[in-house]
Parts: sequence; structure tokens; C-alpha cells
Amino acid sequence: MLIPVILYGIWVIAPIFYTIFLSFTQWDGLTAPTFIGLGNYVDLFNDPIFYTALFNNIKWLLIYVLVPLPLGLAFAMFFNRSLPGVKIFKTAIYLPLTLSFVVLSQIWTWIYQPKYGAINVTLEAIGLGNLTVAWLSNSDIVTYALVVVGCWPQTAYTMVLFLAGLQNVPTEVMEAAKVDGANRWQRFWKVILPLLKPATIIAVAVTIIQSLRMFAIVNVMTRGGPFRSSEVLANYMYVEGFKNYSMGYASALAVILFLIILLFVSVYLYQIFKTEVEY
Amino acid sequence: MKKLSSTLIISILVISVILGSSLAALAAEKKVVINSYMADPAPKKTLKQLVERFEEEHPDFEVTINTYPHEDYKTLIRTWLPSKKASPDIVTWFAGERANTFVDKDLMMPLDDIWGEGKGFEDYFPRAFKSISQFEGTTYFLPQSWYWYGFWYRKSVFRELNLEEPITWNQFLNVCEKLKENGYTPITIGSKFRWTAAAYFDYFNLRLNGADFHMKLMNGEVKYTNPKVKDVFEKWKVLLDKGYFIDNHTSYSWQEGAKFLFNKEAGMYLMGQFIQDVVSDEEVKEDLGFFRFPIMDASVPIAEETPTDGFMIPKNAPHPEAAKEFMHYLATKQSQWFFAENLNRIAANKNIEHEKYGPLVQKGLRMINRSDKVTQFYDRDTKPAMADKAMDQIVKFMVKPDQIDQIVEAMEAQRKKVFE
Repeated sequence: MLIPVILYGIWVIAPIFYTIFLSFTQWDGLTAPTFIGLGNYVDLFNDPIFYTALFNNIKWLLIYVLVPLPLGLAFAMFFNRSLPGVKIFKTAIYLPLTLSFVVLSQIWTWIYQPKYGAINVTLEAIGLGNLTVAWLSNSDIVTYALVVVGCWPQTAYTMVLFLAGLQNVPTEVMEAAKVDGANRWQRFWKVILPLLKPATIIAVAVTIIQSLRMFAIVNVMTRGGPFRSSEVLANYMYVEGFKNYSMGYASALAVILFLIILLFVSVYLYQIFKTEVEY
Repeated sequence: MKKLSSTLIISILVISVILGSSLAALAAEKKVVINSYMADPAPKKTLKQLVERFEEEHPDFEVTINTYPHEDYKTLIRTWLPSKKASPDIVTWFAGERANTFVDKDLMMPLDDIWGEGKGFEDYFPRAFKSISQFEGTTYFLPQSWYWYGFWYRKSVFRELNLEEPITWNQFLNVCEKLKENGYTPITIGSKFRWTAAAYFDYFNLRLNGADFHMKLMNGEVKYTNPKVKDVFEKWKVLLDKGYFIDNHTSYSWQEGAKFLFNKEAGMYLMGQFIQDVVSDEEVKEDLGFFRFPIMDASVPIAEETPTDGFMIPKNAPHPEAAKEFMHYLATKQSQWFFAENLNRIAANKNIEHEKYGPLVQKGLRMINRSDKVTQFYDRDTKPAMADKAMDQIVKFMVKPDQIDQIVEAMEAQRKKVFE
């Protein structure tokens, strides 16, 4: 037990404190850092790009919670039976998770290509040509286009979690509910869902964290563009730190992101553990 | 016991072989490690061949080239330079403010002793290049090649529509209109990585307000809210309002934007001479011509953008003496000409006879020789933190040309932050 704790301390905990320290400095990554107190945070709260990124992260969060979660649950419920061929479907839905985000992003960049990409070409072919948009160029919809890319593997992830959770729903309880005359809907809401609580807790927590720390899709597909309209905090922090020589400012952004994620996850977990369910 | 002794013997043999060969390597070879951002196929091959030539002439040298994707290199270099372990011997880099960033932080080695007996910078390179290679009188940057910028077009398309290379702004507008009427997109651009849009900002500013004003702006001495800067955007707006640019250009990298020129969907592309590096079809390559960005005010001295690439030696280079020998080779007429000849660039070395260059390059040389001043390019002339935020605004302008006021104010806010 001691060795993992030590490793965790060196590689995870210590860097967190170092980053917090760096956020109070100005550092170009080449020469020594200089202490500037709260200067980075003042700049941050006056920075329009910060607010754009924050707002986009909220969009990611809301859509991630509203789409891959229920969809993953629905898939899990649907495929939780031993009919022949179910395994093939489960595997097919699981496959996107095995691809790296970078590969995923590259494929979707081609799909979204305004002239020759799969989406616009299909829309034209079926006569819906007036619905074609420049998915990654239009600053109003670009973030939504990117979120869709992330939903694909995220749905697979939640599905797997819920499938595992469903294995733990004892059949006697299900039988008892059926005998008691509960219909499908009541069985789902009052029996299955509460017993899925452990899986649900993990699924929601992970989904929140994934949405707020999203980097790869944004960086590879649009680099935060066009003109920062698809920017998210994780990408902004990378650009500021590694491209603009402002490691101090990037650290401040990292600290803020850390606090936001901490906030959401803490609030969520508090709600959960306030109301325990036992059978 | 037998097992132990045989293991011992084998270990001793192995160790002595390794030691022997590495000692031999240390003694016999001078190592030079070059990190290069020339990832496009043509320049990458040319550098490799140049190195091979050098190794033939100097068999006691072992030169290794590490090539990195161009955009990533700009980030990676900052991790190599301060580190004694990761630093290469030679780095490819850009002249001017970009080089100065590192010289300022004392991360580069002076090159004053590479010229040879009794020779100096000016024996190899034009006087004008001193301003971008020397800092406080000492040479840190070795210019290799430079290229010019212009409007590239399809000669066959212009012939078909009876168009001539426009010289003035009004002639240029006529060409755009004629192209549009005949179903071509007048101008293509790939603005995903932003600097292609910055080229327009630079040129409008150079043509309307002159190089002196432009450099003052780059150095943060003039406000972006100055009416002259607004004028730049107003004139550019004319092209945008008439729909002369290709749709959705923020989705395309510059190479993807160039495809529209190559497949004749678009008529013109404001781009550097290196556009020729990415043409795969010989016919298309022959069909490409260029003309100077149109003159807008005849009283303004003509300035052109001539971004210059070259080499530097990091202070932490592990083999500085060997590196300097190689740098000397890079400065010579033969190696500079080899590079220029293979890539249709212009070598910085001034001793190369002009007649050696191909017709297209000679045209470029003539254009530059008839100009009054040269600049490096927006993201090389001004500080990186300024360029980053300002280029966002410039791309934003192309998509939302009605927001000129907000855009110049945002650029001005950034200028204040960076320069004051």
C-alpha cells in the first residue's frame, strides 16, 4: 500500500501544489519564474476568452449529462439479455471507445468537411441541401459539432458501466416486483434505477469530469477556432502555457478548472450520499 | 561455478565491445545533431541530400537530422533550448523577432567566428539582412533562404478570360469581378491556422500606410485604434463585401485552401513562393504564375514581405565546435545554392549569380529589387503574445467584417498588455 501512496504523492499530489504555486508567478518556461501575486487571476477575470471557454465548457457539461448518460442506460437496458447477436451489437457500440481521441477527431474532421464530407454530401444527395452548414467554420454551431464527436465514445462508456451495474440487480427482487403487479415503467423507476445507484454515481461523476477536461477533440479539430469560439479551458491552458510562453497564466487557468471540477463533483456526491438507498 | 565464470566472461566481452565501439565513435567522429522543422517532402529531402554531401567531403563527421512537424516544432524548441540534455547542436528557425526572443534570454550562441580567416557577415550576405540576423552587433542567426509573397494565379484561367496581371487596386478589383462572373471564386485562402489571414492585414497596411508605420505598429509604438489601422480593415472589407473569398475558409489549412487553386475552382491565392512545394502535378506547377500585391497608393514606398529562414546554434549545444564547422558549410555559396536550386527559393548568400535562378525566381528577385523595403511577416515581426491574440481578431474580421470597431479595440487592449 505504501508504494502506490508514495507514487501517487509524487506524480499526482505534488504537481498539483506546484501548479498552484506557479499560478502566482509569471514564467516563460525558459528563464526563472517571477512572483506576481494575484496578477494572473486578475487578468483571467478580465479575459473575454476565459469566459468564452468557460461558457463552452458548461455547454459540454450539459450536453454530456443529457445525452450519453440516458442513451448509455437505454442501450444497457436494451442489450441486457442473452439473445443471439446481442454480443455483436454490444461490441459494435463499444468500438469507438477503443479509438484514441486524436483518431476520432481526424475521422470526424473529414465527416464535417464542408464540400466533400460525408454529412454534407449525404444531405445534398437526399435533397436536403439547404441544411448543409460549415460544421466547423460556423462559430455558432462549432461547439455543438465538437460535443457530438465526444458523445460517441462517452455513450459507449456509460453503457458498459450500466451493463455492469445491471448484472448486480438480483433477479429475486425483479420477480418479486413483477408478482406484486408493478408494470414495466414502475419496475424501472422504483426497482432497477435505485439498485443501479453505484453504477450511476460513477457514470455521472466520470461524465462530468470528461466534459470539463475535454482537450483532444477541440485541439485537433479546430484548435479552439474559428477565432476562439470553440475554445475550452483545457485547450486554452495548453495554448497559453506551451505556445504563448505564459506558464503562470496557464497554471492559473488550470487551478480554476480544477476548482470547477472539484465543485461539480463535490456537489453531486454530497447530493447522492445525503439520500442513501437500501434494500 | 562454471555458470558464473562463463557469464562473467560473456559480460566482459560484451562490455569491452560496447566500450570499444563507443570510444572509437568518440574518437573518429564529430557529431552534429540538427533539429529541423522542414517536414514538407521537398525541403526535407533537400536537407538530407545536403547533409550527405557534407559527410562525403568530411568523413570524420556524423550528422543526424531530426525532423518535426512544422507547427509542433515551434512549441518543442522551447523545451530543448534551456536543457543541456535535450539541446541539439543546430536548430532551424526564423529571422527577426522570433530569433530575438531566444537571443534576449541568452539561449543562443554567437556565430562571429564561423566566417573564416579575415571574413565577416557581409562577405556572405546582403547588408539588409544584418537587421534580422544580428542583435546588438553580434551575429546569432545564419540566413539560409528567403522567399517572396505574391498573388499566385492560374495562367490558363487568366488567358481564357483575357486577363492581365493587375498592377493597381482598381485593376485588381476588375480581375476579381471578371473571375466571379465566369464562375470562379476569385480568391482562395485556408485560414484555420490564422497566419494566412494576417498576410492580408500586413499587405493592406504596407500598401496604404507604408513600411515605417507598419514596423512602428509591430513594435507596439502605435495604437491599433489609430484611424490608419481602421482604414486597412475598411479597404479589406471591400473584398469581403463583394464575396470574393472562398466559403468556409476557417475550416481549411493553407494547403487545403491551395487545392482550390490547383483544381481551378479559385483564381488567386496570396501566398509565399513555397506554395510550389505542395503541387504534385507538373502541369499545374507550370501553369502557376504570380504578381505583386496591387499598389493602392502610388506615393507610398513599396514594401514586400520576405520571411527568412535559417539556422542557429543553441547555447547548450553538446558539440559546439563541430556545429560551427557545419554552420560554416551552410553559409558557403555551394550549399546555399544547392538548397535554393532544388526548392526554387532565393539563397541568402549574395555571391550567387542571378542568372543561375529559374525564370520564376528571377521574376521574384526583380520584384524585390524594385521594392524599397522588406518586412518579415506579422507573426515574426511582432511579439508572439501579441500575434496570437491579434491573429484571432484578424480571422474574426474575415468572418464578421461589420465588427471593425470591436476588433481594433480588442487588438489595442492586447497591445497595451504586451507592450506596456
